[in-house]
Amino acid sequence: MNRLMRIINSPEDQSEVDPLLVWSALALLLIGMVMVYSASIAFAEGSRIFGRNPNYFLIRHAIFLLIGLTAAGAAFQIPIQTWQRWSPWLFVGGIVLLALVLVPGLGRDVNGARRWLPLFVVNLQPSELMKLFVVLYAADFTVRKMNVMHSLKKAFLPMFVAMVLVGSLLLKEPDFGAFVVIISIAFGILFLGGMKTRLFAILILLLLMAFAVLIIVSPYRRDRIFGFMDPWADALGRGYQLSHSLIAFGRGEFFGVGLGGSVEKLFYLPEAHTDFLLAVIAEELGFVGVIVVIGLFGLLIQRIIMVSKQCIKLDRCFAALVAQGIAIWIGVQSFINMGVNMGLLPTKGLTLPMMSFGGSGIFVNCVAIAILLRIDWENRQMMRGRRT
Amino acid sequence: MSRKDHRFTESPVLKDQLASWRIHFVSALIFGALLALVGRAFYLQLIHEDFLQERGDARYRRVLEIPASRGKILDRHGDMLAQSTPMRAVWATADAKLDKEQLKALGDLLEMDPRQIEKKLNGDKNFVYLKHQVSPDAAARIAALKLPGIQMDREYSRFYPAGDMVAHMVGFTGKDDRGQEGVELAFESRLIGTNGERTVIKDRRGQIVEEVGSERPPQDGEDIQLAIDSKIQFIAFNALRNAVDKFNAKGGSVIVADIKTGEILALANWPTYNPNNRSQLSGGQLRNRAVTDSFEPGSTMKPFIAALALDRGKYKFDSIINCAPGKMTIGTATISDAHPHGALTLAQVIQKSSNIGATKIALGFPSEDMWTMFSKVGFGKPVGLGFPGEVGGRLRPWQTWKPIEQATMSYGHGISVTVVQLAHAYTAFARDGDTVPLSLLKTKGQVAGQPVFAPETSRQVRLMLEMVVSPEGTANKAAVPGYRVGGKTGTAHKLVGGRYANKYLASFVGIGPISDPRLVVGVVVDEPVGGHYGGDVAGPVFSEVMGGALRTLGVPQDKDSTPAALKVASTPAAASAAQANVPTGAAKKKGAH
Repeated sequence: MNRLMRIINSPEDQSEVDPLLVWSALALLLIGMVMVYSASIAFAEGSRIFGRNPNYFLIRHAIFLLIGLTAAGAAFQIPIQTWQRWSPWLFVGGIVLLALVLVPGLGRDVNGARRWLPLFVVNLQPSELMKLFVVLYAADFTVRKMNVMHSLKKAFLPMFVAMVLVGSLLLKEPDFGAFVVIISIAFGILFLGGMKTRLFAILILLLLMAFAVLIIVSPYRRDRIFGFMDPWADALGRGYQLSHSLIAFGRGEFFGVGLGGSVEKLFYLPEAHTDFLLAVIAEELGFVGVIVVIGLFGLLIQRIIMVSKQCIKLDRCFAALVAQGIAIWIGVQSFINMGVNMGLLPTKGLTLPMMSFGGSGIFVNCVAIAILLRIDWENRQMMRGRRT
Repeated sequence: MSRKDHRFTESPVLKDQLASWRIHFVSALIFGALLALVGRAFYLQLIHEDFLQERGDARYRRVLEIPASRGKILDRHGDMLAQSTPMRAVWATADAKLDKEQLKALGDLLEMDPRQIEKKLNGDKNFVYLKHQVSPDAAARIAALKLPGIQMDREYSRFYPAGDMVAHMVGFTGKDDRGQEGVELAFESRLIGTNGERTVIKDRRGQIVEEVGSERPPQDGEDIQLAIDSKIQFIAFNALRNAVDKFNAKGGSVIVADIKTGEILALANWPTYNPNNRSQLSGGQLRNRAVTDSFEPGSTMKPFIAALALDRGKYKFDSIINCAPGKMTIGTATISDAHPHGALTLAQVIQKSSNIGATKIALGFPSEDMWTMFSKVGFGKPVGLGFPGEVGGRLRPWQTWKPIEQATMSYGHGISVTVVQLAHAYTAFARDGDTVPLSLLKTKGQVAGQPVFAPETSRQVRLMLEMVVSPEGTANKAAVPGYRVGGKTGTAHKLVGGRYANKYLASFVGIGPISDPRLVVGVVVDEPVGGHYGGDVAGPVFSEVMGGALRTLGVPQDKDSTPAALKVASTPAAASAAQANVPTGAAKKKGAH
C-alpha cells in the first residue's frame, strides 16, 4: 500500500485522466471540423442536393460532433467490465447491422457501394460501428482464450471464422477499407494477446495472398491499383482523384496557400471533405499543417499505448487489449487514409479518423476515445486504491 | 522501484502473454508508418512541388484574352462614323442547371422567354450561347445572380451613328468584330488592335477564382480618320436620294473629291442600308456602286479626246470641225448625233456633246495614243482606294481596237469606268494637267500629281466644261449660283445582255470653281425614268452638291449669283481673261452655234 500511495502522489498522475490524450483527440476533432467546413463550402454551395447551402456540411459535422461528444460522455460512465460483458452481443449486433445493409430496400447505395442504413434523418454506417465492436470482441475473446492462446484450433480458428463472416459481409458492400482496418484490429489484438509468432507469420502470408487474389480477380480494385502506381499515366481517368490530391500537396508547399485558399476543393478533387481531407489540409496549411496532423495522431497513439501499458501493470488484460486495439485501429486507418492521399497506397474509400466528414465515424471515434478515457480513469482510480 | 514491483497480481500467463516486445513491435510499425508519411509529405510538398504545380496549372490555369477595343472611324472633323461599345455575350456550360425562379430572373434580364433559355440549357452541348450583345448593365445584374454555369465573355458592339448615309463608305463588322465591308474591311489591320491577356485560375465549373501574375493590357485599335466631310456627305446623299426618287431610278452614286489633296469628301450610293440593323440586306443595297460598278460612261469621255487634241497641238480651242449632217458611217456601223449640228469649234463639240465631232477628232490619232492617254488618266485599272471589290473597268489593249471601236470610245462606249475613276480622271482638268491620287483618309497637305496633259490644255478644257453648263450647253441645270463651274454630261445606253437597250445611265462629272478649282463632283443615276439626259437628271444633282460643298468649305464665290450676269468665254483669249475673272467677249460664242 505504501508503494501505491507513492504512485498516487507522484505529480504527473494528479489528474483524473491523461490530459495529452484528451487534448490531442480534441485538437484532431476541431481541426477536422474546420477543414471539413473549408473543404466543403464550394461543393455544398454548388450543388442543389445540398440546397446550395455553404454551411451544409459544417452544420451536420457540428451536430455529429455534439452527438458524438454526448455519447462519449455517456460511454465514459460505463465501467470497462460492462463493456466486456456486452462485447459478444455488440459484436453479434454489428454483424446483424452489416447483414441488414445488404438487404435490398434497407441499405442505401452511394456511388455503387451499399454501406449505409437510413435512420430517419441520418444514415448509419455499420462498418464504422463494427470497428469498435471488433476491438471489444477481439479483446474479450483473447482474454477468454488466454490460456489456450497457443492452440490453433481453440484460439485462432474461432476468430478466423468470425472474421471470414465479417469480412465477407464488408466485401459484399463493398467496403474494402473497413475490411482492412477490421482485419488488422482483430489479428493485431490476437498478436498482442500472445498468439504464436510463427502462426501469425503464416497468417500474414495467407492474408497477403488473399489480397493479391482479390485484387487480381476484381477489375475495380485492379484499376485503383494502377491509378496509384502512376497517376499521371491516365491522369484524367483512373488517376484523376490521386493526381488532384498530389497536386494539392504540391501547391501547399511549406505553409500552404492559406485557410480557404484551396483550388483543388473547387470541384476538382472528389471527396475533398471525406476521404481526401488531408489533401485540402496539405494545400491550405502546407507541410506544416500535415506535420501537425501526423504529429497529433502520433501523440494520440502514443498516449493510448501508455494507457495500455498502465493496464498491463495493473493486470487489466481486457482494458489493455481494448486500448491497444483502438491504437491499431486509429493508427492503421489514419496511415492508410494519409498514405492514399499521398499516393503511397492504392486509393480506397477510408476516412481520416476523428477528422473526415461522416456521422458514424465521428460518433464511434468519440465513443472509442471515451472508452480509452474510462480505462485511463479506472487505472488512476485503482492506483489511488479505489475499486471501480 | 523496478517495473515488476508495480504488479500486484503475479499472473505468469499475463506476464508472458502480454509481452512488452509485442506492443513495442506494433508501436514501432505504427510510428514507422507515420514517419514514412512525414517523409512522403516532405517530398511532395518541398521537393516535387514544381512538377505538381505545373500539372495543377495545366488543369486550372487559363490564359484569357482581353479583347482590344476596335478603333473608331471618324470623319475629317472628328465626328464619329463607327464606334465600339463594350458588351457581353452570355453563355452556359453543361453544369448550368437552373430552377424556375433562376430561369425567370435570367429571362427577365436577357429579355428572353425562360422556356427558350431552358431549351437551350437542356441541349446536349457543353457550351451554348444564350445571348450576344447584352448591355454591361444587364450583364452586371446577371453576374450578381451567381448562377451556376452561366458565364460571360466581353465583346463589342459596333455602332454607326451616321447610319445609311455613309454605310458604303464605312462598311460594317460581323459578329466576330471583324470588318466585312467598306473601310471596316479595308483598314481592318489598323482598326483591330491587339488583344491583351490575363492569366487566371478557374474552378472546374469555369468560374474564375483568382488572377495570376500581371496581365498584358490590350492594345486598342487605331482610330481611322476619313477624308469624308459629314456635312458634304449629307448634302451629296440627300441630293442623290431626291434625284433617284424624282426619276424613279434604280440607283446612283455621287462622289466629291478635293482636287488639291485628292481627299474624297463624300461618297454616297443609292440604294443603301442601315448598318446598325442588317437583318434584311440585299446585295443591291450592299454594293458600293461607286467603286464596284463600272459602266459605259458615254459623253463624259469626250473632254479627254478634246484634251488629247489640244495637247498634241493638232487642234486649237476654236478649230472648226464639220459635224454635218449629224450622221457618219464607219464600216457597217452608223454614228449619229442626238441633234444634228453643222460646223462646230472644238469647244462646241464638248459644249453640244457631238458624237460626230468627237469621232472625227479621235480617228485622227493612232489608237495607241488614245489608249496611252486613257491609261494615264487611270482607266482600265482600279483607283486603289483599298475598298473591297474595287474594279478597274474595261480598257481593251489598243492593238485589238477596230476603227469603229476607236470611234465609239471617243464618246464613251466600248469602254467602262466607275464613277470614282471618272472623278479621278477629271482631276487632270481641275489641276494643271495632272491627276491626283484619291484618298479615303484625311491627308496632310498637298499631294504630287501624275502629269497627263499640259497645264494650258487643262485650262482650256475647263473653259469648254464651263460652256457645257451655259444656257447653250447640254447641262445648264448643272450651273451653280455664285460659282463658275463646268462639267460634262453623259447619257449612255445601258448594255443589257450584250445589246444596247432603251435603258440609260445619266451622268455628270464636273469641276468648280473654274477660276481656282477646288472640287470634282461625279454623279451617276442608273436607269432614270421620265428623262434620261445626263444634263437633266444628273446635272441638278451636281449643281446642288457642288454648290453645297463649296459653300460648306467656305470657298469664295467667283461669279455674281444673279443669272443676268452669266458670262461664258468661247475663245482662248477670252478664256484667259475669264480665268482672271474679267468678263469679256460674252456675246461672241452665240454666233458659233
